[in-house]
Amino acid sequence: MKAPFSPYLEALAPGMKALTEILGRSFDYVSVLSTDSVGFSVSISQRSKNVSGKNMTTERGNVVRVAKNGQYSEYAFNEVPSSIEDLAEEITRELQKQFDLMALTGTKAYETGILDDEALELFVEKETERLPEEEDMKALVENLTALSDRGMEIIPRALDCMLRTSSTHISKMFISKNRFLRQSYVYTEGNCASYAPSDAGEIKFAYEGVSGCCGPEVLSGLSEVLERIPKTMEEVLGSEKIVPGEYEIITDPGISGLIAHEAFGHGVEMDMFVKKRALGAEYIGKRVGSDLCTMHEGALCDESVAAYVFDDEGTLAGDVIEIDHGILRTGICDALSALRLGTKPTGNGKRESFSHKAYTRMTNTIFDSGESTLDEMVASVKHGYLLKSTESGMEDPKHWGIQCIVARGYEIKDGAFTGKVVSPVVMTGYVPDLLGGISMASVDRKVDGNGACGKGHKEWVKVADGGPYLKTKARLG
Amino acid sequence: MLRLIQEKIKALGCDTWELTENTTRGWEFYFIRHELDQNRITDIKTYGVTLYRALPEGLLGSASGEISPGATDKEIEKTLSDIYFQASLVKNPEYRLNDKPVVSPELGEVDTAAISKDFITAMAEVKETATEDINSYEIFVKEMTRHYLNSNGVEYTVRYPSSMIEVVVNARSEGHEIELYRMYRSGTCDKDRLQSDIEKVLQYAKDRLVTEPTPKLETFDVLFSTEDSVNIYEYFADKMSSDMIYMRLSDWETGKEIVENVTGDRITMKAVSSLPNSSSDYPIDDEGAAITDRVLIENGVAKNIWGHRRFCQYLGAGDSSIVHNFVFEGGKKTEAEVRTGDYLEVVEFSDFQVDPMGGDIAGEIRLGYLHQNGEVRIVSGGSVTGQMAEAVPTMEFSKETVQYNNFVIPRVTRLKNLKITGIA
Repeated sequence: MKAPFSPYLEALAPGMKALTEILGRSFDYVSVLSTDSVGFSVSISQRSKNVSGKNMTTERGNVVRVAKNGQYSEYAFNEVPSSIEDLAEEITRELQKQFDLMALTGTKAYETGILDDEALELFVEKETERLPEEEDMKALVENLTALSDRGMEIIPRALDCMLRTSSTHISKMFISKNRFLRQSYVYTEGNCASYAPSDAGEIKFAYEGVSGCCGPEVLSGLSEVLERIPKTMEEVLGSEKIVPGEYEIITDPGISGLIAHEAFGHGVEMDMFVKKRALGAEYIGKRVGSDLCTMHEGALCDESVAAYVFDDEGTLAGDVIEIDHGILRTGICDALSALRLGTKPTGNGKRESFSHKAYTRMTNTIFDSGESTLDEMVASVKHGYLLKSTESGMEDPKHWGIQCIVARGYEIKDGAFTGKVVSPVVMTGYVPDLLGGISMASVDRKVDGNGACGKGHKEWVKVADGGPYLKTKARLG
Repeated sequence: MLRLIQEKIKALGCDTWELTENTTRGWEFYFIRHELDQNRITDIKTYGVTLYRALPEGLLGSASGEISPGATDKEIEKTLSDIYFQASLVKNPEYRLNDKPVVSPELGEVDTAAISKDFITAMAEVKETATEDINSYEIFVKEMTRHYLNSNGVEYTVRYPSSMIEVVVNARSEGHEIELYRMYRSGTCDKDRLQSDIEKVLQYAKDRLVTEPTPKLETFDVLFSTEDSVNIYEYFADKMSSDMIYMRLSDWETGKEIVENVTGDRITMKAVSSLPNSSSDYPIDDEGAAITDRVLIENGVAKNIWGHRRFCQYLGAGDSSIVHNFVFEGGKKTEAEVRTGDYLEVVEFSDFQVDPMGGDIAGEIRLGYLHQNGEVRIVSGGSVTGQMAEAVPTMEFSKETVQYNNFVIPRVTRLKNLKITGIA
């Protein structure tokens, strides 16, 4: 079935078109992004159960972007008065107060030209099997409760077994003088997490999830995920601390994705080029990785949680090859940054919600596959670790430092697993060394869309990342 | 709108509910260098609803949702009906909503324009040099208003300022440029504090240019003297929360020592109802309970828990409140005394983390001062790792304290024998 576009936004469209027309009399550029996204979040554990119609992407509201004399301004609101003329007047009046403050403080504008507004009309309703607003919540709660109960039976020492799910039916509408874009789609994610005390009394976690640009039907995969948790828990409960040092590593698709995300995801967000905050700007056309390193970024790359049709600035989604066989080709760009840099936007202008500013943001960030098998890769390791399961990551686009906290490392000696597991593992290094050291990549690859990404320490958006198993070298601690 | 929602809740036959109207009016300014990249205004209102229903066997169902101010009557009825049905699916042990009346504090206006002006002028006046300067900054000033009411007749409104500024600074030398990042949260703009801290960061940036690789130190004492220290103290706050204790993510018990065999400083932590210039300075929590000053940990012994009333009641801790402002007492030694002997003072991490559940400590070193054998070396690279359960018994912290937004903590904290992965 199609994910139907919001009737609320359909009804709102004439008013927002009128608003752009009225504001267009005073401003050089006007656009409106309107959103109406409904969904749910359900979490079930032995100790606590929660059901809500709210999650990180449910929202209803509007943001107006205007430009005058090279200065871009925005006004975000979610109460639409009956008189659009009054609304236009209020927006103009309130923004004028900020312009007055700019004058009072002697603040100069970062002058920017007028955004491209090539005529475009688009209406896309993506396919989904089910809609979150029509989901049988009774069945979902019962299924998750049964899974939590099953988890307590099979997971060693489990203090609890939590199943967390969310699903959102997103509808977005972009209107400018020449553009009228509408899209609707559904994304869903769910995960199973359990925790248990180690012999030393430390709380250890085992975690795995499912996700996709689809309806709640994907949550049926949680039962399969749950069956893998006991083995993971046994491994972390028996884990040791790693002896710090430099090792050969094989990253599983999740950690490959984390590296892609932190290394040349954030590293080539081109709003950072405008601020001269990214070393990547100086390396376009230069080698940053081995020949085995090819990386894509874009909402069109995968049908994941980040697979939209147009971004939050009305630019069509893309598929950019950032790194081609080790050579940095380009970055990703929001519309305003593209204008400032004299390049084309790539469909990566995203907002945390309608009330937040648009920045250059990642969507799907994915390494291409290689030709090796995982067995061949393991057999080639003298002493190192297979790294699995992301805890967190942090980039440094200015110096290409990288910090990834990985849940588990599986020791490999002389081409075979020793059975020793280390946890957690802090992987640090210099990005070109890490990518330059990629000597093998597996044929298979996987994309994961559980979790969210911040810009600095704020502006959380959904992203997905992944790739094949990769073999390289890194410092582990 | 609030009254309309109340009427529709009543029409559903629901007699236990909570309703919150949140209004946020924000002014935002985004600068590249000192030129304005973008200015923004936000004017957002939402209505949060939680409906409860008694279930067999002493269980209580609840579910929540949000209603947009533009919702039609039909949409409101559908949302409330869905929530009320979902409440029947959620089977939790029974607990009581707050029924003690609270008095709304006097509602002052938050002058977002004046606070914005303070931030803009403060940043314009920061002392920069030809080689150390400000790359970019983002200013967020909000007037937050929360109007809460529940089916027990508890009703209040609080209004408070909440600000945040994100600052990136650069330093350069002979074609090499580096950057450092800071995020400051507060109620309004503390101009002097902000300027002096950014000027200190500019000095750090200058030092970042001349670092040498962190040597292999195996284990070493690490000194924390920046806002990263808050991560250490949040660990104690989290461990004393009813949510963590009820979920078995913390095994700390009131009346017992939080850790045994303490030879260093002992933690004393208080929850306070008001902390001037905190971004969460309001006296009533999100569940309608008055926030009172209380000792949570005293000389290393757990005294009181805090958190959502549901979990507090489950744990037999009676009525408590959600706490946003924490004050830690200083230790036995002065800052100068804590700063003796060999230690690594890390002032910049990529992302310093203390896992509140497992207690793992981790962070990549971007800038550190290695005090060893009477010399100070400026280092970068490698990482710090450790475990709070092992570090707390011997940790030392200064008598002197400092406020970082909603936390007052010792000015310097020394964690002993952490693992240092060097790169030299």
